[in-house]
Amino acid sequence: MADIDQPLLEIIKDHAVGLTEAPTRETPIADLGIDSFSIVEIIYEVEEKLGVEVPFNANENPFGEMKSVGDLIDALNTLIEKK
Amino acid sequence: MTRNVVVTGMGVVSPIGADLGAYWDGLSSGQNGIVNREYTLGGDLSLTLPTAPIDGLDERLNNLGRALSRADRFSQLAVLAADEAIANAGLEIDDETGARMACIIGTGIGGQATFDHGYEQMLRRGKRPHPLSILKIITNAPASHMSIRYGARGPAFAISSACATGAHSIGVCADIIRHGGADVALAGASEAVLTFGALTTWKAMHILASETCRPFSKNRNGLIIGEGAGVLVLEEEERARKRGANIVARLAGFGMNADGKDMINPEVDGAAGAIGLALGDMTINDPSAVYINAHGTGTLLNDPTETKAVREVFGAGADALIMSSTKSMHGHLLGAAGGIEVIASILALNNNVAPPTMNYDVPDPACDLNYAPNEAIERKFDVAISNSFAFGGLNAVVAFEKV
Repeated sequence: MADIDQPLLEIIKDHAVGLTEAPTRETPIADLGIDSFSIVEIIYEVEEKLGVEVPFNANENPFGEMKSVGDLIDALNTLIEKK
Repeated sequence: MTRNVVVTGMGVVSPIGADLGAYWDGLSSGQNGIVNREYTLGGDLSLTLPTAPIDGLDERLNNLGRALSRADRFSQLAVLAADEAIANAGLEIDDETGARMACIIGTGIGGQATFDHGYEQMLRRGKRPHPLSILKIITNAPASHMSIRYGARGPAFAISSACATGAHSIGVCADIIRHGGADVALAGASEAVLTFGALTTWKAMHILASETCRPFSKNRNGLIIGEGAGVLVLEEEERARKRGANIVARLAGFGMNADGKDMINPEVDGAAGAIGLALGDMTINDPSAVYINAHGTGTLLNDPTETKAVREVFGAGADALIMSSTKSMHGHLLGAAGGIEVIASILALNNNVAPPTMNYDVPDPACDLNYAPNEAIERKFDVAISNSFAFGGLNAVVAFEKV
């Protein structure tokens, strides 16, 4: 688990209205109960809490193929590193 | 007795032309109104991004007179457009005409520059805002200024429905005339939100294009915010004929509805329904003579949804018509979009030229209509349709026919 995983998991947990337990990298995205608004809100919190800028454009659908929370964390990491 | 509504005058202030003639020159030649620009509120409050501003207006704004010197930019732009529309219509407003004249002028936001400046004064400098700030901010300010300036004493108010504001304002105003609530009217919309505060807020939504607006192109990546105003003079047809007015076009139909589904994601059924309502019982014998000015924001979701909606309404005829997005040139004027795009539609109809969709370079299988890519298309048109689909799932479509 990378250093950034834990804070990202915390942020995702706050938006996972469909979960009763804390999410892990293996949790399916479909179980989180998040929608397209949640992605924008999650990115906002990542930027505010971690002090980074995430060059995310909703029109480029960067999260189109995600299956698990691990995929979401990796996608967020890629965007953060792109900056 | 049916009261038909006709357009007898038009006025526009846009990023690709600050009057009617310049606007059409810009539209038909594919002019680019999108530039990278810095917006600042002093100190470290600054951001640079592509937008579609209007430059070179200072002298005209200064000449608007004392009342408008105390107005926010969105009201000033609206009045510039209205002045031109009235002159274009050759409309003399005497006491009798004024009593039956409406002003239905919408805006998505209102006095954003006044908001920005007021909060900057309060929060950073501990000062009070300007004492007339409220009068500058309120969304009905343009309608009120017009009613005072021209002596129009019929129905006057603002309509606000985000990106559908302009089309709603024109359509609802036409309904007021049709039902006898007024005989003549100013109808349109205005928006001026190119400020640090508004643009920072838009940026937070992660839907703005990184470079330019590329509607229907596979590599589109969002919208570009612009400013401006578009105002029509609408009149009851018999009245217009009696005074010998030059009739520009007849309002053939107006359709409005709501998706009732989602704040962001557009729905094919809602958009198609609104287009269908605007066409009403009109028979389209030759779909190749139809021009549609698309909502065409250049976002991932709008463009294929709008394409599907047009296919649903026109069936096989969809392949014959032309639908272009002039937002590729003047950006997205938000509340004022319908205002200036209705004017683009009428100009296309009367000049028999479809303005191009600029910045189109990669075909998208999900967007498969004739968008007049990168070059205007000359063609004889009978009908022009202007689509507006707002955040929140609110749809407004206006259709015009030649007279």
